[in-house]
Amino acid sequence: MPNIREVARRAGVSVATVSRVLNHPERVSPKTKEHIDRIMKELDFSPNVFARSLNLKRSHTVGLVIPDIVNPQYMEIARGVEQVAHEKGYNLLLCNTEKSRSKEQDYIRMLIDKKIDGIILAFTLLQEEDFEEIRRKKIPLVLFGQNILNENINSVYSDFREGAYLAVSHLISLGFRRIAYIGGDGDHLENRDKTLGYTEALLSEGIAVSKELMVEGADDVDSGYLAALKLLKLSPLPDAVFAANDLMAMGAVDALKAEGLRIPHDISVIGYDNIRMASLLEPKLTTVSWPVYKMGLISARILIEEVESDEENPPAQNIYLRPRLKIRKSCGHETRVSEIFDQPT
Amino acid sequence: MDLSCELMGIKLKNPLIISSGPLTRSGEMMIKALDAGASAVVTETILNEIRPNVRPRLTGHDGALQNIRLYSEYSLEEWKRQIGMVKEHGGVVIANILAHSPSEMAFLGRTVERYGADALELGISSPHGEGLSVLGCDPPNLYETVRKVVEAVNIPVMVKLSPNVNNLAALAKAAEDAGADGISAINTIRSILGVDINSMSPFLPTYGGYSGDPIRPIGLGAVATICQTVNLSVSGIGGISRFNHLLEYIMLGASTCQLQSALIFKGLGVIGEILEDLRGWMESKGYNSLDEVRGKALNRLKSFDEIILEPKVAMMAKNCPRPGCSLCETACIFGAVEKGRDGKVQVDTDKCTGCGLCLSVCPETCFTLEWKR
Ligand SMILES: Cc1cc2nc3c(=O)[nH]c(=O)nc-3n(C[C@H](O)[C@H](O)[C@H](O)COP(=O)(O)O)c2cc1C
Ligand code: SF4
Ligand code: SF4
Repeated sequence: MPNIREVARRAGVSVATVSRVLNHPERVSPKTKEHIDRIMKELDFSPNVFARSLNLKRSHTVGLVIPDIVNPQYMEIARGVEQVAHEKGYNLLLCNTEKSRSKEQDYIRMLIDKKIDGIILAFTLLQEEDFEEIRRKKIPLVLFGQNILNENINSVYSDFREGAYLAVSHLISLGFRRIAYIGGDGDHLENRDKTLGYTEALLSEGIAVSKELMVEGADDVDSGYLAALKLLKLSPLPDAVFAANDLMAMGAVDALKAEGLRIPHDISVIGYDNIRMASLLEPKLTTVSWPVYKMGLISARILIEEVESDEENPPAQNIYLRPRLKIRKSCGHETRVSEIFDQPT
Repeated sequence: MDLSCELMGIKLKNPLIISSGPLTRSGEMMIKALDAGASAVVTETILNEIRPNVRPRLTGHDGALQNIRLYSEYSLEEWKRQIGMVKEHGGVVIANILAHSPSEMAFLGRTVERYGADALELGISSPHGEGLSVLGCDPPNLYETVRKVVEAVNIPVMVKLSPNVNNLAALAKAAEDAGADGISAINTIRSILGVDINSMSPFLPTYGGYSGDPIRPIGLGAVATICQTVNLSVSGIGGISRFNHLLEYIMLGASTCQLQSALIFKGLGVIGEILEDLRGWMESKGYNSLDEVRGKALNRLKSFDEIILEPKVAMMAKNCPRPGCSLCETACIFGAVEKGRDGKVQVDTDKCTGCGLCLSVCPETCFTLEWKR
């Protein structure tokens, strides 16, 4: 009995296209449909056989679970995922967990009930045991942001320890020693990784880690503002601040300016994320970029590929994308060329 | 109007300097170049040990040269007389030197300083011989060399850099940190000018240095990078044969310029032409000094993420005056330009992606890029 892959091969199209002809003929050009219909006839292929081999109960909907809908970084993930989903004929369900594990669990249950085809979890707070049902039901899954579980689950991730290390090393190379840190919400692994990167960069240059220079924020602009006010009470003042995201860095810049400090003359600031607003700040914010939109695209591609694959246990894909320093003005570097090539000299 | 400028604290009457090469191989040659109007000369590279020159060692066409010349044929002692001749003539001489180690470089520097050199240029960047691979591509090595030389002499020290590196900014910074007063760039580029397909032999028997017209874009890029990295007197070199080339280097931040290949091809008369045209241009624009244009283009260089995406498309600024031409139509890779039978050129603004190529290929400047209406 011929199978769908044989049809696809004969027709010179992808399995997904054949499946579309069967499930959503309106999404296929008449010419392609005609061509594939003819091949199916030639091969005596009946869609019923196909129905048994491939789950026809597909909902053509994928879920994206993000921690915080206000953070522009997470919206960039959604933008990437949505673009691919749309192109491949899938709807996207966006779930905002507000950084709560229980809300995330609720959403997972809801998505499973809705017979979701696949799920992307961005910066998940779930634990090993929360994946029980997803695993049993064999729902394709991609973890976004951090490869927290194991290599057997698809992941598209960046290294936040490395990114923080780059930022702090850059500050050290500019001659700063009293480098303060505004950390993000410690529940999130990527924030703990950034803290690690911060301390490792200091220690590798023989600089002691001082607790008073480390303040915890809550990932938003206001907490960055408050954290900077706290740092301003220190004596002597820090000579640089690394904030674990751009929103907090922007809050910190605002507070420092309000207190009469000039950036970068009196104090340098580096953020993380390279959100669009970072380049509109005065002075323009030096930051660490990671290709979040592209990671959204890749996550959706991996997910839908697996949804549409008729392979029994496809091997997991783990794709790593490198963080990069984006040098602008707020760090106080001296050479304009560094900004153009993002290379400290 | 005043063309005078400063090179590492040395006052020069104009920005045009003859770079290190065969045209500065002797006192007599240097004096000829100075008499033709150059403001200073850089000697051909002076070494402790003379390297015999192979034959042939030059090949070139269309304004491009490849050379496999290995530095000066005069002994160190002989250079005392050659430099002395130029000093007696009242010229400014920069001695280009090359050595294997920091201490040898310092020794050479001290020696030519005694001979009367006004400044040093460290010729560490030739793509052949021992220049580039030994000292010219490693920042710590370069730092050490420059520091030793700077400590050893009282005249200004300039470092000549090559574009054959992937860490140009770091090298420039190393030179600055070590106390250099200036940087010159570029030296020739490692190359093989061509292969004779009948004999299946390269034109010259080894890799050589590429110079002349085609290397100017590389020189401009390197000089911009250096000027954005360090706060030193920069001397721009590479492919200068007309006054506007010199201005391009200056607008990217150079204080002075050097040239060699154009003079080899076209003679010393080029010096006078460039200076005269430069004066004419300055006068027509109402500029009194080169300081008014220096670095102006450098400030306009952006990083990719600073470039704002504008919805621009090509538009006709005027009617096409050339019936026989179709350069724009051929060059537009998006098929947006059409030349009708009546000779009228039209842009389909729906197809146009605003790439800008038609603007540069049209010999009549018929196109502009404007916001799509
Ligand atoms: C034949 C020839 C010999 C050269 N010899 C030297 C040299 O001995 N030392 C040196 O530093 N540069 C040498 N150069 C490089 C030139 O000084 C200059 O950096 C390069 O040719 C680019 O400038 P241009 O395009 O105006 O020639 C030589 C160039 C040529 C063409
Ligand atoms: S700008 Fe580019 S795309 Fe537009 S007409 Fe000119 S060559 Fe064609
Ligand atoms: S390139 Fe310029 S001159 Fe030539 S056909 Fe096009 S518009 Fe006319």
